[in-house]
Amino acid sequence: MFNLPIEGEELFILEFGDIVNYFSVYTTTLFLFATAFIIIAIIARPEQQTDIIFGTDAVYTKEITHENLRFQRFMAIACGLATLGAVCSGDLFNFSLFTALIGITNIGIVAGVNNRYVLNAAYNYGIVAMVATTFLFGGAATALGTCGTLSIWELAGRGMVPLAAKMFLVLGVMGEGMAPFYIAKAEITRAPGAPYVLMIHVSSLLIFLRVIEIILTV
Amino acid sequence: MDFYQVGLFCTLICVIISFIALLRERDDIHKILVVDLIETTGLVIVCLVATDLAEALVLPGLVVGISELLMLTELYIRKEKLPLPAFQPIRIEVMRTAPPIITFALVVYGIILSGFSGGAVAGIGLVFYFMCKGYEERFALLEMVSGYAWALWIVAFFIFMILPQAWLIAVILAGGAILMKVTTKMALIGTMREGRDV
Repeated sequence: MFNLPIEGEELFILEFGDIVNYFSVYTTTLFLFATAFIIIAIIARPEQQTDIIFGTDAVYTKEITHENLRFQRFMAIACGLATLGAVCSGDLFNFSLFTALIGITNIGIVAGVNNRYVLNAAYNYGIVAMVATTFLFGGAATALGTCGTLSIWELAGRGMVPLAAKMFLVLGVMGEGMAPFYIAKAEITRAPGAPYVLMIHVSSLLIFLRVIEIILTV
Repeated sequence: MDFYQVGLFCTLICVIISFIALLRERDDIHKILVVDLIETTGLVIVCLVATDLAEALVLPGLVVGISELLMLTELYIRKEKLPLPAFQPIRIEVMRTAPPIITFALVVYGIILSGFSGGAVAGIGLVFYFMCKGYEERFALLEMVSGYAWALWIVAFFIFMILPQAWLIAVILAGGAILMKVTTKMALIGTMREGRDV
């Protein structure tokens, strides 16, 4: 398992039957990265934008209600925790489940913003994420059907998982990790949801990196 | 060609048709329906290919699908600023007299059954009661019970893994906890119609 080029050294193993959660240098790096951004989401204050009315001296500061702030912060932390789970799970199925959860929480982060364009973008992303879930579960099911196990630990280095299952997994992660494109489309990187939107980018990046590791390992 | 291969082939055709439908659909609310169709047919494929462990994949797949569907519809309502529909609930004789006894019977039978199916039976009783009678309920309390029951369920799983010789207490714990959890979750469905949160 740990003599494969991408993994690096073995750091820690936690066995639950045939499902083995493992930390290699690679996954630990991803894990620490996600942890850092969870801490940022916990301590960060929301950004308060100011609008200047052109031609006058008037300046507006956008208020962010406490309720809205709590909801977005909760969703950002939940998204971070789902990312932690996706990064360190040793099971194809757990990985797809956590990735689906990331998709749901990603929408939660932006759903607090009461703006039609933002909600439209979130809605379109939601449809993509829902279709992507099918691919994720289909990938896990195909791997299970051909190999008889879902444990990455047991599948590692054997090359048993068929190409179709790997393609399904990558397609699924592409769908779930599509969120930053919609963020860019709605231009809310610095809008009311400001610091919490970062978590969307982080989670998408990390699940992409993790799925690369998985398809190179199994 | 046996029945299995025919079934797989037909399901694949269904999936392809639903994907084409998604490509051609332009209306937002119809897109939700078509996406749900894709999820369902996808789950049928999962059922067909994933052999004996399919159950473990299908149930969570269904749950994830339903939660995403709820989230999307909620988002749609917010996006379109749709008002909540106002309607007069139906009032008929049987809805006033039947609920206590039917609910009592179902809850008692559910407790005897215990476990997931028991929870479903007792939950259906509570759904019926809440739907017919109206209620004044503190939802935070129901949610708290459900949360504690879930934690107990996890504790039972840890007992299975760490102390396998204490399996009996773990079985009882898991059976009771899942009963509580499913019952409270299903009872919430009955409260969607009317009544208020105290």
